Amino acid sequence: MEHATESRTDIAVEQEEVVVRIRGLCKAFGSHEVLRGFDLDLLRGENLMVLGKSGSGKSVLIKCIIGLLRPDAGHIDVLGQDMLALRHDALDRMRMRIGFLFQSNALYDSMTVRQNLEFPMRRHWSVMDANERKARIMKALEDVGLAHTADLMPSELSGGMAKRVGLARTLIMRPEIVLYDEPTTGLDPITGREIVELILQLQRQYNTSSILISHDLNVAKLAANRVVVLHEGRAHAQGTYDELLRAKDPVVRRFFMAL
Amino acid sequence: MNRAAPYLGPMVSTTGYRDLIEEAGDMARFTGRFFREVLRPRYEWEELLRQAFINGYRSLPLVAVTAFIMGLVLTVQSRPTLERFGAESMLPAMVAISVVREIGPVITALICAGKIGSSMGAELGSMKVTEQIDAMEVSGTNPFKYLVVTRVVSTTLMVPVLVVLADAIAIWASYIGVNFKDTVSWPLFHQQVFDSLIFSDLLPAFFKSFFFGFAIGIVGCYKGFHTERGTEGVGRASHSAVVVASLMIFMLDLVAVQITDILGLN
Ligand SMILES: Nc1ncnc2c1ncn2[C@@H]1O[C@H](COP(=O)(O)OP(=O)(O)OP(=O)(O)O)[C@@H](O)[C@H]1O
Ligand SMILES: [Mg+2]
Repeated sequence: MEHATESRTDIAVEQEEVVVRIRGLCKAFGSHEVLRGFDLDLLRGENLMVLGKSGSGKSVLIKCIIGLLRPDAGHIDVLGQDMLALRHDALDRMRMRIGFLFQSNALYDSMTVRQNLEFPMRRHWSVMDANERKARIMKALEDVGLAHTADLMPSELSGGMAKRVGLARTLIMRPEIVLYDEPTTGLDPITGREIVELILQLQRQYNTSSILISHDLNVAKLAANRVVVLHEGRAHAQGTYDELLRAKDPVVRRFFMAL
Repeated sequence: MNRAAPYLGPMVSTTGYRDLIEEAGDMARFTGRFFREVLRPRYEWEELLRQAFINGYRSLPLVAVTAFIMGLVLTVQSRPTLERFGAESMLPAMVAISVVREIGPVITALICAGKIGSSMGAELGSMKVTEQIDAMEVSGTNPFKYLVVTRVVSTTLMVPVLVVLADAIAIWASYIGVNFKDTVSWPLFHQQVFDSLIFSDLLPAFFKSFFFGFAIGIVGCYKGFHTERGTEGVGRASHSAVVVASLMIFMLDLVAVQITDILGLN
């Protein structure tokens, strides 16, 4: 685990600037209350991991942040802007500063890998010329080690490759904040680890702040500066991986029991 | 929505009326959103052209073959009846009027409902369940504008074009049908057809095909956009897009005939 410790301390939190501030977030589906007053602060340069068991509302949480779901109550400030008050173009502009890696990758399956990467740049076509776009796509693919796949269709990629392409697409607009929804789920442990290392490397390279959603403790160990445990719709506990490892709280203990 | 409703959805489910009304309300809201978004800037021209190509040009072979057969069969089958009344000289006029006023628009629209509506339902439905629509949204592209507005505008514009082409092909096929037994020259046939057709035959028919195209696009997109429950839902979306769009075409046809009647265009 030499590498792991190194990665964690490498990305030191630069300043105490809060880039995402969530207060009292509530979201219910019918009578099913998923989030019940969730609070969270993400600092600039930080890798924050939200740990929670399946169905605890982790995906719901980050979908609320990016505005795919509308919360019933609470506040979400991203980079100093009230996300819930933004509309149309203002919201779209804000979203371009935030990257989102889907649990299922969500690659556009009618487009090639190249077109998938081109898609987020559409709104910048007026300011970016064709060569610049091309260069950026190739750079993004090289970053994830898949330069040779530009002309493949998503159906021709393996799970790990699709995840890398998803990662490249998420980062192509150089977002300041990245939300990762279970980046390692469904991958074998080795590939999962490679993806986490790639995330860390790209994070250092582009200096992003990120929220990682997972139930995978290896991700916490390898990548997180701080871990928040989501339990029954609230931030039940938080701390560094080592702090939580030593915690006495029964809910937290249950996550670490398997180790 | 009653999630356990069979795949014909609101049409035949046991709690049918409530579902039907709820779905009609949802669809009306969806249509309202279309009109709000269609005028707001950032127009997706490139995608609109691509959709016009897919929905228009790619549907042409199917529409052409059907129109040809339709014109031919209509002519051959109408002849005996007209002969009985000694009116076989009316054959071109009769076929032309029925094709232009009713059969051309409705058959073309039904074919488009089957071909375009089902593929829209399936395509958008699978994009929805695999979160591709969400992915568009988070990358700063309004998926309603990019996917729905372009598709609906393209069918609204292309179905009338297909109808006009289908009418022309059916009439030409009718000329071949007439010549199975008679020999009528093309200029004479042409003259008989155009003498019989008046402005009020053409205009309402052309006008209603815009509505048919709009209905096909809106229903296909609505069904795709509201797909739930994984791949099973995709099949259901595609299927019910065809069913609902076809029914809407007949209902619009009914409304159109009433309106032309009231306006005295008959
Ligand atoms: N669109 C929706 N409609 C109704 N219920 C939903 C919807 N989305 C999520 N839920 C419910 O919210 C709860 C949390 O879902 P969520 O997808 O956030 O879980 P998760 O923590 O991401 O789990 P996993 O680790 O398995 O991805 C689930 O019980 C789910 O049934
Ligand atoms: Mg999830």
